[in-house]
Amino acid sequence: MNTKLIATLVAGAALSLGAAAQTGPIRIGVVTPLSGTYAGIGQQVKWGLDMAANEINAAGGVMGRRLELIYEDEEANPAVAVQKAEKLFQVSKVDFLTGTVNSGSTLAVGQVAERNNRLIATTVSFADTITAEKCSPNVFRVNARAGMQSAALAEWMASTKPNASVFYLGPDYEMGRSTVAAFKAAAEGKGAKTVGEVFAPLDNKDYSPFFGQMRSARPSVIYTSVAGNDTVRLLTQMAEFGLSRNVQIVGASGTVTSQNLSAIGKAADGFVTGVGYTPNIDNPENKKFVGAFEAANKAKPDLYGADSYGVLFFYKAAVEKARSTDTDKVRAAMRGIQWATPQGVKTMRAGDHQAMQDMYAVRVNSGQFEIVGKVPASAAIGPDTCAKF
Amino acid sequence: MNQVLEWLQFVLAPQMINGLSIGVAVVLMALGLTIIFGLLDVINMAHGEFYAIGAYVAVAILGLGLSFWWALLLTPVLMAALGYVTERGLIQRVFHSKDRHTLTLLLTFGVAVVLEDVLKIIFGANPLRIESPIPGGTEMLGLFFPNYRLFVMGMGGLVIVAVWLLVFRTSLGAMVRAAAFDRYMSASLGVPVSRVYAGTFAFGVALAGVAGVLLAPIYSVFPTMGRDFVLIAFSVVIIGGMGSIKGAVLAGLLLTQIQSISSLFISPVWNDPLLFGIMVLVLMWRPQGLFGKLGHA
Repeated sequence: MNTKLIATLVAGAALSLGAAAQTGPIRIGVVTPLSGTYAGIGQQVKWGLDMAANEINAAGGVMGRRLELIYEDEEANPAVAVQKAEKLFQVSKVDFLTGTVNSGSTLAVGQVAERNNRLIATTVSFADTITAEKCSPNVFRVNARAGMQSAALAEWMASTKPNASVFYLGPDYEMGRSTVAAFKAAAEGKGAKTVGEVFAPLDNKDYSPFFGQMRSARPSVIYTSVAGNDTVRLLTQMAEFGLSRNVQIVGASGTVTSQNLSAIGKAADGFVTGVGYTPNIDNPENKKFVGAFEAANKAKPDLYGADSYGVLFFYKAAVEKARSTDTDKVRAAMRGIQWATPQGVKTMRAGDHQAMQDMYAVRVNSGQFEIVGKVPASAAIGPDTCAKF
Repeated sequence: MNQVLEWLQFVLAPQMINGLSIGVAVVLMALGLTIIFGLLDVINMAHGEFYAIGAYVAVAILGLGLSFWWALLLTPVLMAALGYVTERGLIQRVFHSKDRHTLTLLLTFGVAVVLEDVLKIIFGANPLRIESPIPGGTEMLGLFFPNYRLFVMGMGGLVIVAVWLLVFRTSLGAMVRAAAFDRYMSASLGVPVSRVYAGTFAFGVALAGVAGVLLAPIYSVFPTMGRDFVLIAFSVVIIGGMGSIKGAVLAGLLLTQIQSISSLFISPVWNDPLLFGIMVLVLMWRPQGLFGKLGHA
């Protein structure tokens, strides 16, 4: 191919893009894991986004322009996510980007967005740092962060089990230690007493060697942040040893999930955790959303599906307020904006780009999550610690 | 004085009983491993996966609507058949080579990798569980202990005694030991050596299968479960002496007791370093292991 031809092509592409920017569709890049370990989460993200884009386009789009979603598979790998995001910004010229799942991917893609002067929003990543120490003027988070989940759980615990004596059991690696530390701080702030803590190796087979210690500490509440199959073993072995009687078991939002719930069986009953979304939130918007989601995808939405559905309405509200897709104007519009989601109205906090929303305490009852408590957005959000903008 | 007694009764005693129930599980795994090594001179890297398949076979049998007891009875039979086929179809092909140790090690390692993925494809990656067939618990000395764990300890003890009697007190066992000691002499005396080898391998695999069924209600069932016990089982076989049944039983019970009691005083993450430290010390002092004979294979 000769250089002249390339030059013509590039010029042509630039011309068509220039024209498209005014009247053509608004392009939204989606970098999400469509394969690999997190493919299940990516699937919910895609279902939520597709459904929201269809609804928005059917109702006339955003300022008369259609939304066009362009998907890239990030394989839950930050290195891949960075390449795919770069490609979407540079080649596909997307106006906005969302979909990152892994917190590392969100942080890395946030830096790509800064360099390209575009905005991104995560709908899944939990890590508190994304809207705290490592906050970025180009990154927004529409879902609840880990600290808000802890706050909701601690609030529920303080009201149902005042002055609880809590025993903590976490997996012995970064996630386990940080979740236990975060919940302990939240619980002690509400008057709970710590009676002991133990960190078990990841993939521990037998938890019974810790049971003597747990029993002699006489806790009224046991908090755990183990996940996956470790939860299956911990909860069934605790039930086997009669340790679950007369004690309330609470945990992180990833401790009991739809993936391990059936294997835990009866031993999961009574488990309580804090979350930002659950399909049985009782309001008309959510009922409509769950019904349409199930009809379209033959599966219930989870928190990822619901927050991914909501993010396009967040973007739509901001663009309509800014009357532009220009990065600086949209960013200014996003700060402090309120928008409707299946969970109710959310507010984007201007200081750290963290969405404020009501949080829920949910309890497992015969294999189903039911809502047992609600914490208002203002009580769950925690202080703004972002110092970068 | 009272405090010491209370500590002994309410802290140390339950910890030791827990350790014993884990110890029986470890011995069941180590037994099959040490028999296959001692009699066949094959280091079976796929032993953990045979344990996993045992658990999944039990899940499938329960899925057909049969009871746990049928699963406990049928699984070893099916596993023995699988072991027999594996020995005749795969291991025999490389068994007579000069590089037998390397080749069988690599072969069984490859089998392990394949089996783990086969389980994932058939049953999915999510954990499954078998409901405990004997729920509830028993009060002993003021302590609560799950009935099913008591059953596993009793059953495990029976299996261990039965294996010992079979190998050392029956003519079948004598034939197997003879074939292991000198296969040419045994063959010339009319022992069907290759069938004895396959049968021994099948027996070891069936033992792994029994462990899989017995432990599934306690530890749940998932594709990578084979890795759980295999590391400690290998250490037990090495410390007890490769190929020694007595060594595997004693080392298995001893090591799990050390692990349980030490976890009262130090963080449980030190469990594995402690185990391997002991293994290194034993090997420095007795390279053949506690009850092994060097050069015997």
